[in-house]
Amino acid sequence: MKSSLEHQLKALLPRGRVLISAAQLAGYGADGLGYKNHLPDAVVIPADAQELAGFMKGAKALEVPVVMRGAGTSLSGGPVAVQGGVIVHTSALKKIREINTEGFWCEVECGVTLNDLDATLKPHGVFYPPDPSSGPVCTLGGNVASNAGGAHCFRYGVTSNYVLGVEAVMLDGSVHCFGGPAGGRGPWREDWKRFMIGSEGTLAAFTRFWLRLLPLPEKVWTFRATYPDLKTTEAAIHALVAHSSYPAAIEMLDPRGVAMVESSQMACGLPEGSFMLLVEIDGPEALVNARVPSVVELLRRAGSNDVMFSDEEALRQKLWKARKAAGGLLGQLSPAYVVQDAVIPKRALAEVLQLVYDEADAANIRAVNVFHAGDGNLHPNFLFDSRVPGELEKVELISKRLMQRVIEVGGTLSGEHGIGDDKSAYMPLVFGPDSMRLQLSVPAAFNPAHQMNPLKVFENRHFIT
Amino acid sequence: MAPPLQSSGSPPNYFSNCTHCGFCLAVCPTYKLTGDENNSPRGRLRLWSEEAAGRLPQDEWTDFYTAECVGCLACETACPATVPYGEIFERIRHEHVASHRFTPKLQLRLAAVAVAHPALFNLALLPARLLRRVGLKVHRFLFPGSPPLLKSTAAYADELMLRHRPTGPRVAFLTGCLMEAMFREINFATVRVLIENNVQVIIPEGQGCCGAFQEHTGLDGVETLRERNRRAFGPLEVDAIVSNSSGCGYALGKTLQPDKPVRDVLGFLGELGPVRRQRACDDGTRVYVDLPCHLVHGQKAASIPAKVLDATGYRWELAPKAKDCCGSGGVYNIQKPENAQQILAEKSAFLNEAEGAPVILGTSNHVCMMQWHSAGATGLVTRPYEVSHIIQLLDPGEKFSIPSTSPQP
Ligand SMILES: Cc1cc2nc3c(=O)[nH]c(=O)nc-3n(C[C@H](O)[C@H](O)[C@H](O)COP(=O)(O)OP(=O)(O)OC[C@H]3O[C@@H](n4cnc5c(N)ncnc54)[C@H](O)[C@@H]3O)c2cc1C
Ligand code: SF4
Ligand code: SF4
Repeated sequence: MKSSLEHQLKALLPRGRVLISAAQLAGYGADGLGYKNHLPDAVVIPADAQELAGFMKGAKALEVPVVMRGAGTSLSGGPVAVQGGVIVHTSALKKIREINTEGFWCEVECGVTLNDLDATLKPHGVFYPPDPSSGPVCTLGGNVASNAGGAHCFRYGVTSNYVLGVEAVMLDGSVHCFGGPAGGRGPWREDWKRFMIGSEGTLAAFTRFWLRLLPLPEKVWTFRATYPDLKTTEAAIHALVAHSSYPAAIEMLDPRGVAMVESSQMACGLPEGSFMLLVEIDGPEALVNARVPSVVELLRRAGSNDVMFSDEEALRQKLWKARKAAGGLLGQLSPAYVVQDAVIPKRALAEVLQLVYDEADAANIRAVNVFHAGDGNLHPNFLFDSRVPGELEKVELISKRLMQRVIEVGGTLSGEHGIGDDKSAYMPLVFGPDSMRLQLSVPAAFNPAHQMNPLKVFENRHFIT
Repeated sequence: MAPPLQSSGSPPNYFSNCTHCGFCLAVCPTYKLTGDENNSPRGRLRLWSEEAAGRLPQDEWTDFYTAECVGCLACETACPATVPYGEIFERIRHEHVASHRFTPKLQLRLAAVAVAHPALFNLALLPARLLRRVGLKVHRFLFPGSPPLLKSTAAYADELMLRHRPTGPRVAFLTGCLMEAMFREINFATVRVLIENNVQVIIPEGQGCCGAFQEHTGLDGVETLRERNRRAFGPLEVDAIVSNSSGCGYALGKTLQPDKPVRDVLGFLGELGPVRRQRACDDGTRVYVDLPCHLVHGQKAASIPAKVLDATGYRWELAPKAKDCCGSGGVYNIQKPENAQQILAEKSAFLNEAEGAPVILGTSNHVCMMQWHSAGATGLVTRPYEVSHIIQLLDPGEKFSIPSTSPQP
């Protein structure tokens, strides 16, 4: 069976690569959640968009699941072949095809990494705002498919706000443009690109995008303040959200995150037991400079006697250090962690955080919170040892209880990481049967047998041959 | 009470703390070349750990992907979880060679024997030094130069020490194997630059190859070589042990640190603030500086100090993507010439258009110099350019004296 699949794939991809041996599949067993492993039957690396389209045309007849993969940094199991099948790795589709500084848009292939795009745009004085922390490596295909967010999305908005058009290849090989350089609906009666954005590979293979750009801000100021307790931190967040300086980013690290940073080589003198807030404002120089004193005043008045701020690149990077280091430091504590991605109304922050602490402590599981406070997008990281029996189950139980509470307070499952297979079990907690049925009918309309990324988003969405 | 924020009590995992975040993919030359995740740091770690855990049988593809790694260590710099990729890779490569899953090319195996015997190696390469002196183009890697034929760096350093009697910091200098046997003129220049900067240079007897060659090939014998250098350098009372090749310095560091301070000679000079060379004001020379992987990713130096580059007296700038690998990878350009050539093609393309006459590509590792030289010899770069060690651009030449303003002890 394997050799016939190999044969068929080689015929579909005369120029690209076909990986089929056990050791060629092993590298594709997981995404950013390294501890979960599902091997595909094969991996293909199309040489270009044309070859990818050709593959899609023949893919239906292969009668195996088709799973799209960019950089594989997803934190929800998205680019993993949970039901086996063929992984399509877009690593060769990395051309930045046009940068249009008059119309403020660019055209990129799906495998372009966010950092490559940033670096290429910079000399033109423009930028693409969505900034997931996985920027050094994640691809625009993955960003669009999971509607990625990032620290600066509090003010700028997430990926969907910047996608003008999506070129997508369906399983029958037909190629469609939803929107285009001019944005909007493109050649469709309605704006269907919104179906595509955040679809987590369940509808179609994206080959290229037209993305909206903005002029680089003239001036950026970064502030770092620490607070003795959650009450004062919350006061600061509420004040910031409502403040006329309209911050671009409001990030938070909880005392356990602070302790993690301070006991590492990245220590930067944060007081023990404190909550750290990181705030950024940007815009025209005169305007932003004039706003600095009021932001400092606000941060102090909320209860911080430790406010640092700067507009110098090197110093700003220093202020960001603790926030940026947090993700990697988790790995030094424990290679396996589950990160939740709940979004909650800001008023429920204290209560939900307390729940995280209580549950984690009772189960003797370490939990660190690093999150986009402005958006109420919580990222509790539960650290565990995948080799210790029962630890993962404990974490899953805590996650479930957390999700239940999140829903009760009016929150939702995922801010930016997507549902994948990791959070699909929680879907019925949020959505009633009617809503579930309607949502499921979308992928069913594009590929009735659910051949595209089965078992994702919806728990029982099997590919049936 | 919150549980402590330390690693839990379970046994240490050899594949350590890789969280599978993927940050290392973007910097890996073989991933960029092939787009194949197995050919990336995260992929290789996965293959090795799956095999170690008994979930993946030994497979010739695992051997293939292991052999593909350049060993540039860019992934270590990129890794937020400080996974010691280099250490793991070295161990796996050695295991693969020992169990015949991988056999280094014959010329490398022969060379590995030779470098372990410095006197023999020096003699064996006498004809090569001669060929370089007379300027015969014998091999794409052999950049031109005029290595002294018979006088050793040790003898030369003794001579200059007596003549100039520097009084500043004392350093012990690792002369290296290939550096001494083939590119000795760079060692001589290093001695001159150090002494001109009032540095006392000692060349310990009994020193030998740093072991990098064995590490790169996965062959046996690293420990013997390390032991020899521990004996040669260990007892010395010096301010630093310096090396003029970033790869050798990195390997010697692994042998002697943290007990002894091993420094790259350019980093060391950067702290002294070296004597500046004067150039004609209409000099059109442009130096493009490439940073060796084993300097920035191995020794974790930020760069070659700007003070040192300024002191060359030339207009300089970093080469584009200066921290990316050029493909030399110790012996990679011999073991995997096609890959090495493709990696170099991307890195060197800028030289065709680069401003300056003449254009110098400056770096601080002889193996990178060989690789960069080959870009011209193989037609990747079609305009004339020179390859130089940065220390050569600081060289005062035979006639110099120690300026009276030099740093004092
Ligand atoms: C350390 C770390 C930090 C992170 N920080 C953030 C953050 O701040 N914000 C955030 O939003 N996310 C974050 N993430 C999650 C992840 O990086 C993002 O979801 C990112 O958008 C995934 O991009 P990728 O290229 O890795 O896609 P992959 O992981 O390969 O795929 C993600 C999903 O997109 C689909 N897909 C990929 N390419 C295509 C295509 N061409 N066509 C159709 N579908 C496709 C896949 O099937 C999968 O469902 C983080 C991850 C890590 C490891
Ligand atoms: S960057 Fe480090 S932690 Fe992340 S995948 Fe690579 S080796 Fe693993
Ligand atoms: S050492 Fe270099 S080539 Fe090898 S995995 Fe790391 S980055 Fe890739």
